[in-house]
Amino acid sequence: MPKRTDIKKILIIGSGPIIIGQACEFDYSGTQACKALRSEGYTVVLVNSNPATVMTDPETADRTYIEPLSREYLEAIIAVERPDALLPTVGGQTGLNLAVDLAEAGILDKYGVKLIGASLSAIKIAEDRLLFKDVCRKLGLEVPASEVVTTVPDAVRLADELGYPVVIRPSFTLGGTGGSIAYNREEFADLIARALDASPVHQALIEESVLGWKEYELEVMRDHRDNFVVICTIENFDPMGIHTGDSITVAPAQTLTDKEYQRMRDAAAAIIREVGVETGGSNIQFAVDPATGRMTVIEMNPRVSRSSALASKATGFPIAKIAAKLAVGMTLDEIPNDITKKTPSSFEPTIDYVVAKIPKWQFEKFPGSDTTLSTQMKSVGEVMAIGRTFQEALCKAIRSLEPSSAWRPPAEVTTVLLREKLHVPGPDRLHWLFEALERGMSSEEVCDLTKIDPWFIQQLQEMLEVDRRVAATSLSKCSAELLLESKRSGASDEEIAKLWNVKAASVRARRKELGVQPVFKRVDTCAAEFESFTPYLYSTYEEEDEAAPVDRPKVVILGSGPNRIGQGIEFDYCCCHASFALKEDGFETVMVNCNPETVSTDYDTSDRLYFEPLTLEDVLAILDCEKPQGVIVQFGGQTPLNLALELKKNGAKIIGTAPESIDLAEDRRRFGALLEELKIPTPKNGSAFAPQEAVALANEIGLPVLVRPSYVLGGRAMVIAYDLKTVEEYVTQATLIGGLSDAKRPILIDQFLEDATEVDVDALADGDDVLIAGIMEHIEEAGIHSGDSSCVLPSVTLKPSILEKIREYTVKLAKALNVVGLMNVQYAIQRDTVYVLEVNPRASRTIPYVSKATGVPLAKVAARLMTGRKLRDLHLPYTQTNGIKELVVPNFYAVKSPVFPFNKFRGVDTILGPEMRSTGEVMGISSTFGLAFAKAQLAAGQRLPQQGTVFLSVNDHDKRHVAFVVQDLLAAGLKVVATRGTAAALASAGIEVESVYKVNEGRPNIVDLIKTAKVDLVINTPLGRESFYDEKSIRRAAVRYNIPCITTLSAASAAARGIRAMAGHAVEVAALQDLHARKANASAERS
Amino acid sequence: MEDTLTQQQAGRAILALEDGRVFKGRAAGARTRRGGEVVFNTSLTGYQEVFTDPSYSGQMVCLTYPHIGNVGANLDDEESPKPYIEGLVVREFSALASNWRSTETTQKYLERHGVPVIWDMDTRALVRHLRQVGALRGMVSTDETPAEKLILEAKALPTMAGQELASRVSASAKYEWKDGSIGIASPILTDAVAGADAKRKRRRVVAYDFGIKQNILRLLVDHDCDVTVVPAQTSAEDVLGLKPDGVFLSNGPGDPEPIHYAVSNIRKLVGRVPIFGICLGHQLCGLALGGKTFKLKFGHHGANHPVQNLLTKKVEITSQNHGFCVDPASLPSSEVEITHVNLNDHTNEGMRHRTLPLFSVQYHPEASPGPHDARYLFGQFVEMMNGAR
Ligand SMILES: Nc1ncnc2c1ncn2[C@@H]1O[C@H](COP(=O)(O)OP(=O)(O)O)[C@@H](O)[C@H]1O
Ligand SMILES: Nc1ncnc2c1ncn2[C@@H]1O[C@H](COP(=O)(O)OP(=O)(O)O)[C@@H](O)[C@H]1O
Ligand SMILES: [Mg+2]
Ligand SMILES: [Mg+2]
Repeated sequence: MPKRTDIKKILIIGSGPIIIGQACEFDYSGTQACKALRSEGYTVVLVNSNPATVMTDPETADRTYIEPLSREYLEAIIAVERPDALLPTVGGQTGLNLAVDLAEAGILDKYGVKLIGASLSAIKIAEDRLLFKDVCRKLGLEVPASEVVTTVPDAVRLADELGYPVVIRPSFTLGGTGGSIAYNREEFADLIARALDASPVHQALIEESVLGWKEYELEVMRDHRDNFVVICTIENFDPMGIHTGDSITVAPAQTLTDKEYQRMRDAAAAIIREVGVETGGSNIQFAVDPATGRMTVIEMNPRVSRSSALASKATGFPIAKIAAKLAVGMTLDEIPNDITKKTPSSFEPTIDYVVAKIPKWQFEKFPGSDTTLSTQMKSVGEVMAIGRTFQEALCKAIRSLEPSSAWRPPAEVTTVLLREKLHVPGPDRLHWLFEALERGMSSEEVCDLTKIDPWFIQQLQEMLEVDRRVAATSLSKCSAELLLESKRSGASDEEIAKLWNVKAASVRARRKELGVQPVFKRVDTCAAEFESFTPYLYSTYEEEDEAAPVDRPKVVILGSGPNRIGQGIEFDYCCCHASFALKEDGFETVMVNCNPETVSTDYDTSDRLYFEPLTLEDVLAILDCEKPQGVIVQFGGQTPLNLALELKKNGAKIIGTAPESIDLAEDRRRFGALLEELKIPTPKNGSAFAPQEAVALANEIGLPVLVRPSYVLGGRAMVIAYDLKTVEEYVTQATLIGGLSDAKRPILIDQFLEDATEVDVDALADGDDVLIAGIMEHIEEAGIHSGDSSCVLPSVTLKPSILEKIREYTVKLAKALNVVGLMNVQYAIQRDTVYVLEVNPRASRTIPYVSKATGVPLAKVAARLMTGRKLRDLHLPYTQTNGIKELVVPNFYAVKSPVFPFNKFRGVDTILGPEMRSTGEVMGISSTFGLAFAKAQLAAGQRLPQQGTVFLSVNDHDKRHVAFVVQDLLAAGLKVVATRGTAAALASAGIEVESVYKVNEGRPNIVDLIKTAKVDLVINTPLGRESFYDEKSIRRAAVRYNIPCITTLSAASAAARGIRAMAGHAVEVAALQDLHARKANASAERS
Repeated sequence: MEDTLTQQQAGRAILALEDGRVFKGRAAGARTRRGGEVVFNTSLTGYQEVFTDPSYSGQMVCLTYPHIGNVGANLDDEESPKPYIEGLVVREFSALASNWRSTETTQKYLERHGVPVIWDMDTRALVRHLRQVGALRGMVSTDETPAEKLILEAKALPTMAGQELASRVSASAKYEWKDGSIGIASPILTDAVAGADAKRKRRRVVAYDFGIKQNILRLLVDHDCDVTVVPAQTSAEDVLGLKPDGVFLSNGPGDPEPIHYAVSNIRKLVGRVPIFGICLGHQLCGLALGGKTFKLKFGHHGANHPVQNLLTKKVEITSQNHGFCVDPASLPSSEVEITHVNLNDHTNEGMRHRTLPLFSVQYHPEASPGPHDARYLFGQFVEMMNGAR
């Protein structure tokens, strides 16, 4: 069927900020959808609140709105744009829910917008677990028995009926938030109470457990002509009970006979038809009883998903792109297969390799959180690896994870502990599996404890067996055959080196002597049955090499690996832009990355894609094969930077800022010296290896101090110490844990600047010229990690004299470090002194945000500078003040706000600090700062109240300034209540407010008020460690009951301004294309 | 059981092709050496069904999916009483069988049936070679025979073109078939509904065995047919003597051209009784209706080939296993209508007679292994038998 002609303009809703359970896979799918629809001649309107996405680039869609994903803003956009249709299936759960909301609110009808891709009824059936189960039963398929409950007593009765363990799922929460498994009645009573709280409709599903069964996923597609294909089967290494997002998964399925698989395929086809998903992709999950083959249906997602992104990367079949084309009426047989060119997309990919995915967790950032893996997803990212065998794929995936320190078992490992670790799955489960097998626990027992399929355990056994034989030889004695066998079973040079205790480099050298070298094979959707035209490659140890590198000017871009807190999608965005720019300039671009969620690992993004781990060994193998003119390490965050020096030593031509400069900037001593030389102030600081040394140093510097390990990104394990005891404890602990601090990497101690305003600056430099790209003023004061604080561009309160200094220092630093490309500087301004906190001569987290605000694609420009082009030739819109160039600042305010995963980690304090904990960010744009801030807050899920009650409790230090905030709030017509001290402070400033009890002062206290929804906004600023504790409960309650909670006075006053600005202000929206055009005109007038 | 494999692992294996290309790997299965035409199959599942498909006689199969043997072997997954492949070529061969239906390891199973296995070699390189130069004759040896000797032996093997293998694999005497699909393979609700009206009445079907896959017989039984299987060379008269409501022409190995007896029998049956042909059966119909067949470069062997039904425009994901093909241009268009086409290479996949009750498909609607998309054809056969009354 040809594409629809009754539709011209299509609205696409993105998935908003990166959160656990919804990461950059939706930037990938959304970007693909935009490209696909525009290539078919449709006009695409895109809405997403997340600036750190390729999909929100002004080039990706025709009209781009970075606005809050809420009903009122969507309606405003629809009212201006008047799209003919809405594609709801590429924006994750967020996009889908919002689309449903718009449809049900009658907004789509009001403006005559058609839903394409999935009908409202189909979405509802698939999303409503009970309706869905009915559909399955009707088809003669089994589903776990279940019932909806709204009260604890009912729930307990039902659970007793079903028998324990039972699965608890709160209704309408994302990624299983609040979901759990109860093994007995006591536990159940508690868990169900939480689940009901977690559910916005105070409702939960109690479900029969199929714990320990095998879990499978099918990624399927269907078109208007009812053509149905399975793109990929995924088998979970971990059994039912561990969320697929937290499971190691393998494609294709390994332990199904054809009869079992076809039964699953028939079931999937029947389900998608009965549910009524007419076009597009769906994800359907099954559980199979390993003992009897009994199959039950678990759930369906009627949209592209994390798994469909994985399936696309695993097979080379671009699900989101095809789904978009099917949504406008095309059929699978009308769409050619990009990779084979000659054959159509109406087929089922077949693969001749194995794909393994491993999740990445970061519990270390959330002390006190429960690390047990269960039905609620807790991982922040994932890696994927391709190998010719399961063993090879698994090993490559393991090394793609980049553990911050090598895993070591505790000093004493008892059988009891082993059993427990295998029985209760945690993030380090895979290590424990190997540990147990190495210690001789039988495969049978391991399978029994873990419920992992014996086939997988057998694979692990075989790997260990090869290792044993290798360990028995040595660097000089090992035969070529055995070395090859070891590499074929996936072992890295590092691992082999450990077995022989030699250097990895020696192993590599020996390998080359013995001619044991990897080759590259292609991902081609057809197991080589047809010729492939897209160089999408992976390494393996076999006979034939298919890389066929082309001989023309070529640049290799190293990606950023798995998403993690502090190194997220922003860096993938930069890598993609480098590739886009250099492609335009006629270079052959080669991308290396191992994160399946990303745009960078779309085979369309670069000329060549190597889906490989970002380790020295794997990258060198690629460079040996490609022999590029340049390698870019600046854009992928810390991951490629950590390789830079070694790569250079091995002859790689790193372009842009020299690795030595990057290293210098990271080395506090040498960098301190440089700052002194440049006469740029920096907080007093030093480094120590031992507790006593640290205490002495802290004393000398003066409290409070900031204590942290060296070489970290995202402020890992950083604390503010207000007394020496803390310093001592920290260093002692750090040295105990090891990994954090060792001979090479001391503990760093900095004078902590209190009440300082933090400023982020991004700049471009080409070796001769420096251009300041953006000066961002943080809303929270220094001490709250730059990644966790909101900031605004242009700055709001900085005096011209301060800005002068900042510009001057920035240029000095860029020149001193001979930056070629991007540089980020963090400043703290305390009592009119500008201190440098840190300099990162590389792409920073804020690049996409500044690019969206200024309309200048900084990463693209930087990539061009790295290949030798000059700023002066690139004609960027800048202004010049006494010799210093700065990009024309926006004539509007762009506020960036972080988004936190606290709702996934119960019991964790939400107070912000120098340790970064946000997973994502949003941007709010408006002509006034207050409104921009309010929009950003709304986009981040904090709806600032228009009326109602504000609770206020600030520390003594803030009491001095709190009056202004309260005046604003009262002026905006809100009621203010405060704790005794704060109320007193206000009274003395002439403002009378009602005072309420603190938690420990009596009832009803503030937490009671929060629980009973008597408070609409919480402002609570703590200082010093002691106060942290008694106020935790307030903030936790706020998170749990989803009440906006502000923890700094600066943010509070911004919020107050926002609330006032919102009062009686119509919803305003603007497309980036217009904003940038307006700005261009404005600057034209100026110059 | 794992020991048997590790013993075997010690041994080396060689795959030698007629063009002199040699692959070295490890040995498994039986300790022997055998030859045949080397083909590759891209199906991700159903290796045991492939081993036991008689259409593979005279061929060595390279399975492109790297992990083979994971789910072991069991009697229900056989398409005939024994494996017909001459040899197996795979990347990894599982020491362990992990599946609730498995009764023995794949290693034991192939050893028991004397099939040699070469594994731990670059199978993708082999596939790319075959894709470029076309199907080749080859020898798999697990008995330490030197490569040079194997190459000569490979050259000496008969070429597939011109080989009449059907009579070699066909049943020697006629027999009744009674079994339907086992529980796990029987269609789920929605499938069953299709062609339900045509059910109930029992039909007598005579099935020519040119190397028939048992799943065809099971599906005929599922569709309420009483099935009599007859040897390949059974005369049309004898078949008609059995008073069939319909005649089925099975799949089978080798080149259709030399099977003259079958072609002339079919000519006599056309128009006198409803006919349904699959694979070789389809090619024989083509010849009987005056068409020609030709050999494909490396054939179609897999479970993911898109076939379009020209009557409904719908695409079926099909199971395929054939090296020869009917040339649609050679068919008298006045009598024959092309009903199915392969969307990968646009070769012919199905036809029907414009006026007489006959239709046939090149691919495998009985799947096993493969998707069930084309099962409706069995319902169509039943309807044709009803219409013919
Ligand atoms: N009945 C059950 N018994 C045991 N585990 C279950 C059951 N249902 C779901 N699970 C586990 O919980 C995870 C999440 O459930 P799912 O229905 O997929 O919700 P989500 O929408 O969060 O993906 C699944 O991946 C599976 O491992
Ligand atoms: N001397 C200091 N005084 C006050 N705050 C500081 C100081 N040094 C760092 N910080 C705070 O800690 C945060 C993280 O420190 P930073 O050096 O940027 O680590 P990272 O490399 O993780 O970004 C900064 O964003 C800033 O808010
Ligand atoms: Mg799920
Ligand atoms: Mg920083």
